[in-house]
Amino acid sequence: MSDRLTMEELAALMKSAGITVDPAELTSRPDSRFDDYGLDSLGLLGIVGELENRRGRALPTDADRCKSPREFVDLVNNSLMTGA
Amino acid sequence: MTGRRVAVTGVGVVAPGGIGAPAFWDLLSNGRTATRGITLFDPDGFRSRIAAEVDFDPTEHGFTEDEAARADRYIQFALVAAREAVADSGLELDGESAWRTGVSLGTAVGGTTRLEHDYVDVSQRGAWWDVDHRLSSPFLHRAFTPATLASAVAEQTGARGPVQTVSTGCTSGLDAVGYAVHSIQEGRMDVCIAGASDSPVSPITVACFDAIKATSANNEDPAHASRPFDADRDGFVLGEGGAVLVLEELERARARGARIYCEIGGYATFGNAHHMTGLTAEGLEMARAIETALAQARVDAREIDYVNAHGSGTKQNDRHETAAVKRVLGDHAYRTPMTSIKSMVGHSLGAIGAIELAACVLAMTHHVVPPTANYETPDPECDLDYVPRTARKHTLRNVLSVGSGFGGFQSAVVLTQPKEVRA
Amino acid sequence: MKSRTAGPVAAITGIGVVAPNGIGAEAFWKATQAGDSVLDRVTRQGCEHLPVRVAGEVRGFDPGSLVEERFLVQTDRFSHYALAAADLALEHARLGRADYADDPYAVGVVTAAGSGGGEFGQRELQRLWGRGPRYVGPYQSIAWFYAASTGQISIRRGFKGPCGVVCSDEAGGLDAFAHAVRAIRQGSQAMLVGATEAPLAPYSVVCQVGYEGLSTGDDPERAYRPFTAKACGFVPAEGGAMFTVEDAAEAVRRGAPVRALLAGHCATFTPPGRPEDSEGLAHAVRGALREAGCAPEEVDVVFADALGTPEADAAEAAALREALGAYGSKVPVTAPKTGTGRAYCAAGTLDTAAAVLALEHGVVPPTPNVFDVCHDLDVVTGSARVAPVRTALVLSRGRMGSNAALVLRKGP
Repeated sequence: MSDRLTMEELAALMKSAGITVDPAELTSRPDSRFDDYGLDSLGLLGIVGELENRRGRALPTDADRCKSPREFVDLVNNSLMTGA
Repeated sequence: MTGRRVAVTGVGVVAPGGIGAPAFWDLLSNGRTATRGITLFDPDGFRSRIAAEVDFDPTEHGFTEDEAARADRYIQFALVAAREAVADSGLELDGESAWRTGVSLGTAVGGTTRLEHDYVDVSQRGAWWDVDHRLSSPFLHRAFTPATLASAVAEQTGARGPVQTVSTGCTSGLDAVGYAVHSIQEGRMDVCIAGASDSPVSPITVACFDAIKATSANNEDPAHASRPFDADRDGFVLGEGGAVLVLEELERARARGARIYCEIGGYATFGNAHHMTGLTAEGLEMARAIETALAQARVDAREIDYVNAHGSGTKQNDRHETAAVKRVLGDHAYRTPMTSIKSMVGHSLGAIGAIELAACVLAMTHHVVPPTANYETPDPECDLDYVPRTARKHTLRNVLSVGSGFGGFQSAVVLTQPKEVRA
Repeated sequence: MKSRTAGPVAAITGIGVVAPNGIGAEAFWKATQAGDSVLDRVTRQGCEHLPVRVAGEVRGFDPGSLVEERFLVQTDRFSHYALAAADLALEHARLGRADYADDPYAVGVVTAAGSGGGEFGQRELQRLWGRGPRYVGPYQSIAWFYAASTGQISIRRGFKGPCGVVCSDEAGGLDAFAHAVRAIRQGSQAMLVGATEAPLAPYSVVCQVGYEGLSTGDDPERAYRPFTAKACGFVPAEGGAMFTVEDAAEAVRRGAPVRALLAGHCATFTPPGRPEDSEGLAHAVRGALREAGCAPEEVDVVFADALGTPEADAAEAAALREALGAYGSKVPVTAPKTGTGRAYCAAGTLDTAAAVLALEHGVVPPTPNVFDVCHDLDVVTGSARVAPVRTALVLSRGRMGSNAALVLRKGP
């Protein structure tokens, strides 16, 4: 379960795309759109690539089309569970 | 403008599946595809492992070993295409006309293939940040400066007027030709060797498009991987190549009895100020470029006989430009064939705009529209006549070629059959 | 550039500088006028061991205080300079969003770039070759290429006008102005134009080592001394300048400062390997003066290319005599870049910034580190020279053979 993606890790990944966001804010507003945080499609592609490298496995192909932190975290964690 | 008009008097092409304008046209008019598994390097481990490559041996084209070492592959393409175009036009430069002759060539990524090759040596395969200059090759500086492209062609041609290299991503080819057209119209030059060249099939470029999933991953069926406008398209297929046109002030061309293929009467480019790689669904900025180019050429949107599309085969691009063309042509869009030769020769980044203009020039000569190869399944968002798989006879008086590039560039060029008197 | 066709005249209304000797037009002019040399030993990480010992580094530039983080992570240093310089140029022209909100197509962007985002590219090459293809990030596709700065400026400021990129050699910096002038004549209200470079990264320096004329001297006061008997080549620099260029009539109407008129430009080509050739540059000078409707004696100052090799310096002096006649030996010539280094495409834009400021202040800035001129030229050495300056001629020659000349006239 240590592989689970947390809002803390997501916030740190968003920082690498130049988006500074408090994990508490992601947790309290998980359905806000990535767009509203300023994260664009390339930024999300970068996050997906980095996660795939960290976890050593591919994420579902629609991971880079997620619109919100909740959608993304759920999809990543579900795929990690079924993959395990 | 001043009333000076611009004629195309020579064409030269180095394209995947066809070196030289006749071979290139043979490929297009027969709807053959030149996409295949990458052979220029071992693509194992990459997401997209396919490309449209040129089977090009520099020694067969007269380069000595030294010359080949000095000129990167993309420059070799340009030199061969320029030689063909100049010979085709019968252009001869003397002391005075050399100063009135310019060069305008586009490239998106320039010498990156050579830059990467030498990087591997000087960094010991990425082990060092503090690279060692003693391990580099003697012509590395020529790869570092993309200006080498226009410079090499100017040297070969003898041009001494304005010589420039243009790099606006994937519209570089259209923009390099467009700048040349405007410069001749303005009277800054009388003749211009204009076109573009790129040889981007290298690990770093393939990897960078892998990272943003812009390229097709249909590695199992490379020959059918480039599927512009098709519902099952999954990205573009990287290509390489170069094309050069000889552009000439119309009266000058007539006075020397040159063969006039067509005129280029309009060019415009705008930024979409939206996203470096993303496109809107509406295509307003491309529509604006088309309208502006048409107005310059004094061609009505309903007089367009053929649209040579950017048609890269990404989901967003093909939808974007279909919307843009419909916005300007209205109902006439449904009666106008619109095709993407990238289905056959792939997407050679900065070069493709010039290769597509060469295709337009040849299409107007033959009155044949090259097809969109691989097109099978309609996409509801792309509902125009894409001329599936088989070329079509069609009278071509006015032709539009459009392009989109990373950075938001949206460009359009209008070609017309030469007319004695323009309304 | 008004003589060929009647219509809009292009004017420079704003200057944005990020240079080794100052950030912002004011700091840049103060150092330029004083003749300060900021050439110094190269300190950029990973470059210290390379044979380029002296350069003009931009120090004290904090991009994070000027440009949003999300733009910085997806761009190279050369675009950081461009984004910051574009802001400064707009501010200097007092051109804000409200001025073009009704018509975003009225403002375009043209930049020149000689080498693109080399430092960013090296980092991604290291990931690819050191770790594997999947470690290349999503921004490599938009940061390394030459068009990065134009695209990002257009997006960040909402400019939808004509957007272009010249990636010629050094002379491309002046050619970019010709593109902007054309856009203004064709109806654009304003253009952001200029060039910035960041060639001081380890692999980029390795790529420059083969340049003929690159100085390998290690004394900052002696490494770049054009027009002297001790000329031993040029030293590279980073940074550059962006400009707001507008239809002069429009600028006057909105109360903007018309700092200089872009009166004439001409570009020519000299095949590489002929450093002694003066004909190409002379031809460019004559063409630019002709377009500006300017007699040789009207030129009050020449901002020289000043490559710093004996043959190229002699060729430049000869070109001035060929194009300006006997006056070529009398016209004041300056090369402030001897205090900052040659920033490739951006060198011509920094010279243009200095020329506009010279017109504004009636002062010809000096040529740092140059005292003992050995050519038949009136090179302004030592300290600045106060003189009426109404017309300036800026020259640039590229390593791959391009020549360009730009004529600037004082505004009305």
